[in-house]
Parts: sequence; C-alpha cells; structure tokens
Amino acid sequence: MRRRALLATAFGGLGLVAAVAAAQVATVDEPLSFSRGSWAKLRAAHAGLPTVVHLWGLTCGPCLVELPHWGELAKARPDLRLVLIAADPLPQEPARVSATLAKSGLGNAESWSFTDRFYEKLRHEIDPAWAGELPRTVLIATDGTVSVLPGVADLARVRAWLDAQAKPRL
Amino acid sequence: MRRLLLCLALLLPAGIAAAQHNHAGRGTPEAFTATPAFGPDGTLWLVRTEGSRVVVVRSSDLGRTFTAPVPVTPEPLNLDWGPDARARIAVDSRGVAIVTFAIFQDKNFNGRAFHARSTDNGASFTQPRPLTADTTSQRFETVAIDPAGRVFTAWLDKRNGAAARKAGKPYPGAALAYAWSDDEGARFSDTEVALDNTCECCRLGVAFAGPGRPAVIFRNIFPGSVRDHAVVTFRDPATPGPLTRVSTDNWKIDACPHHGPSLAIAPDGSQHAAWFTDGSARKGLFYARAESDGAAFGPPRPLGTPDRQPARPYLLSAGPALHLVWKEFDGDKVAVRWQVSTDSGRSWSPATTVADTGDASDHPLLVARDDRVYLSWLTKNEGYRLIALGGAS
Repeated sequence: MRRRALLATAFGGLGLVAAVAAAQVATVDEPLSFSRGSWAKLRAAHAGLPTVVHLWGLTCGPCLVELPHWGELAKARPDLRLVLIAADPLPQEPARVSATLAKSGLGNAESWSFTDRFYEKLRHEIDPAWAGELPRTVLIATDGTVSVLPGVADLARVRAWLDAQAKPRL
Repeated sequence: MRRLLLCLALLLPAGIAAAQHNHAGRGTPEAFTATPAFGPDGTLWLVRTEGSRVVVVRSSDLGRTFTAPVPVTPEPLNLDWGPDARARIAVDSRGVAIVTFAIFQDKNFNGRAFHARSTDNGASFTQPRPLTADTTSQRFETVAIDPAGRVFTAWLDKRNGAAARKAGKPYPGAALAYAWSDDEGARFSDTEVALDNTCECCRLGVAFAGPGRPAVIFRNIFPGSVRDHAVVTFRDPATPGPLTRVSTDNWKIDACPHHGPSLAIAPDGSQHAAWFTDGSARKGLFYARAESDGAAFGPPRPLGTPDRQPARPYLLSAGPALHLVWKEFDGDKVAVRWQVSTDSGRSWSPATTVADTGDASDHPLLVARDDRVYLSWLTKNEGYRLIALGGAS
C-alpha cells in the first residue's frame, strides 16, 4: 500500500488514479492487515456490541472444514457480528484468505489476516494464554466479558450466546 | 556475485522442475531460518532459506564474518515455509557438507525433499536430488552423521496414507521414513518406513545411541487422535526399536500443532526429551529424562513461565554437559532461556536469558564445537547470532 502511494507521487495524476483503483480493488478482495496494535483497534471498533471473533487459518485443516458452518450461521443469524481473523503462524497470501472465505459464504464478513512476522506479539495481544492453536472462537459480550471456545466451536453454544445477548438485562 | 549469476543461469534440474507446479506468488509465506553445523576445522556452516532459495554461508571466526552465499538451489523454488520446517546441514569428519530441504509441490502442503552436497569446502553444491523416488509427499526431513560417519536421514512421508486411502482405509497422519548413505551423502539407500501414523506437521529430533543407532523423537498419533510424543531408538541401522512414549499428555487434536520436539543422548546413554503440548493432562513446555533407550521417561518437568508462551525447545549433549534452550515472550521481548546440567539431566542450573529480541525470530538452536556449545539464533532485528553458552568463547 505504501509502495502504491509512493508510486502515485512519482508518476503524478495518472498514477494516482491507478493507485486508487488498485486500492479499491484491494479493499474489496483482501482481508484487513492484522499487525501489532490491531487487536486493540478491533476491540475499540466493536466496543459495546456483542461480537464473535473467529480465529482460523489456511494452514489449519479443521478450520477449513468448519468455515462453511460459520457461513451458514452468518446467513441464518443477522444478529451475528462476526469478525474473522486468519491467524496462521506465517503471513499468508491475502488473495487465498479472501477466496477461502468467499467459498464458505463469508465473503462479506469483516476479515483480518496476520501480516506481521512477530507472531508472539500478535498472539499475546489477543490473549497471553493462547498458544496459537486453531480454530478458536472468542465471544465478546456487550459489557466486554470474554468467553473462549477453543477448537471447533459448538455452534449451538454460539446461538445460545447470541440469544442471551439479545435479552434485555435486568 | 558472478558465481551466483552463473548458477541462476543454469537450467532447472528436471526433478525439481517436475515437482514445482506453483511458482511463488505475491504474499506467499516465506521461511526465515538459519541452521548451523561445525566442520572438522572449526568452520561454522550455515544453511539459510532466503525467500525462495537455499544458500550456504561459512564463517571461520565463530559467526562474526561470513563468506558470500553459495546457492544450493540455483532456481527460485516454493520452499516449505511451514513454521517447523527448515533446511538442514551436516558436515562430516572430512569436511563434506550434506544439505537437505523440502519444497511444496502443491497448495495442500504435499512436500518433496531433496539433498545436495559440497565436496569442495562449500565452493559449490551438487544439483539437488530427491531423497526418495516416491512422489507422494515428504516433509520435515533431517540429516545427521552417526558416530561411524554414516549419513542418516529421516522424514515424514505420506505414501502409505495415499495407498491406504486408495484402498478405502483410514490413515491418520504420515509415516516416519528413513534412509542411509554410505558415501558421504552422494546417494541414499532405498526408503524404509520405521513407523506409521505419526503427526504430519512437526519437526523430528535425532540423536545417536551409538554407531548405526539413531534415535528419533516425533509427535505420534496415539489411539483417539491423541498427538503425544514418542521415541524410536534403532537396534541397528535397519531395525527400528519399539516405540517409547515420552509422556501421556493426552493432547487430542485433529490438527497441526506445528511444534516439534527435541532429543539428546548423553554419554551414559540416558535420553533427554523436550516438547510442547496442550494436552488435557498438561499444557506448556516440558522436559523429561529416561535412564537408557527403551526405559520409561521420568515425570515431565515444566519449562519456563506458563503465561510467557514457552516454546521451541532444543537440547544438545556435548562432553560432560547437557544444554537446553527455549523461547519465552513477556509481551515485549522474546528471550532465549538456557539451562545446563552436568549430572546427566538429574539437576539443572537456574534458567537464565542468553539473548533476546523485539521482533520476529527463528527457533533457537544449539551447536557444538568440541565440547563448547553455542546458541545459534536468527532474528529479524539483529540478524544471525552465534552466542557461546557459559561465558566468553
């Protein structure tokens, strides 16, 4: 992205148009870049709203089997605020991340992908106790209460959690 | 530089070209590794993966300066970038260097393992040749030289899985395969399978119980998809011994932990294992000791601080001492922690930090020159470092 901006500066108006076009394509096609500090930004953007963060990876076989079920859940439950994070130990090709999500019916979900080689730091920011195993689902309630579902998620539990979020608190 | 250009101009050998379907595209993951070996004259050899190629550099001053990189892979390749994969190097008593590495054949993590060697003190390497004729998948290849000078290589091989699936039978994981070379790595014997149904995505650890007697530690698949560690010690070059379970951690997982173990054998024959687990019986990084090959391992001792991501253990026996390192992360810096034992692993020094870094890093490795042990560590910020353990070199 930075390189595109520099190119635009170097080549003037025409270059700028091309760079903007490229950037727009990129925002449609590519996941958001998850690097140092991204977790705090993500939490802030969803603060006060019940949010389900699903950590998955292209290098994780069970994740790829599970993803279409999340696609079905997203379709069935418009109240599901779903955030997907591709959390592979090494940054993956952005186009493959997007293509995999699109195939699973998750092409429109908010999607991030680890792009920072400092894997330890990214994991620590999300959860110091997380050893990096995937898949992993983090349920963040309106009041910020976090519950973790390690491994392939029991979607009945996720539905029950969504139902509980919808109930007015007494 | 001229030599590099010359090599790049050479034609791609047919063996690699055939296996190389997909060329690395934008954003393709890249390995970041450096693996050391000392030659008989005290030269440090390093095999490095740099993007899509494997190169070797040498240092005659303990890592302060290095020779220009010599390519092992003249053409760019889709190298296996798995978090536990790395090119390996072994240098024999005559200074012949043998390198092994793997590429990805496809997007399903099927690998192809190759070997190459240098008989001219690292000035050039032979064209890489496949370690085995079977083309199904090989990964996590490792190479080591036994006390008699024979070259042993072991890897995780998927041929039996493919055959089983064709016959409609389930086959979890991969097989532990091996081969020997009696001519300093020029050719390797036909492949033998030591054991079926190992975990398919974790590095192997190799140590020798004696000439012709490698011991291999690996993440095994026990009944119920439990991926705990085991050691197989060979009785002779052609006879893998029984499987010894290192620990019952009960990590039931149908996935890839990408986190393999390490093994050392002390001069008294005792075996020493370090590993990572996230089992229901225990979670974290552990060490255990067995009195001899085939003997049961003692109780696992936890390593490091549980909330600091202790990871990537490495054990090495050198002279009278056993050395153990691993990584820890405090939220800010990754530290390499070190412990040493001079009583065959019965007691250990308090853990101390020997190096740290504030960005991405390779696994910490240990390498010995005579009885002197060094930490070998590649980090993004500092580059490559060789650090003498236990005081100045």
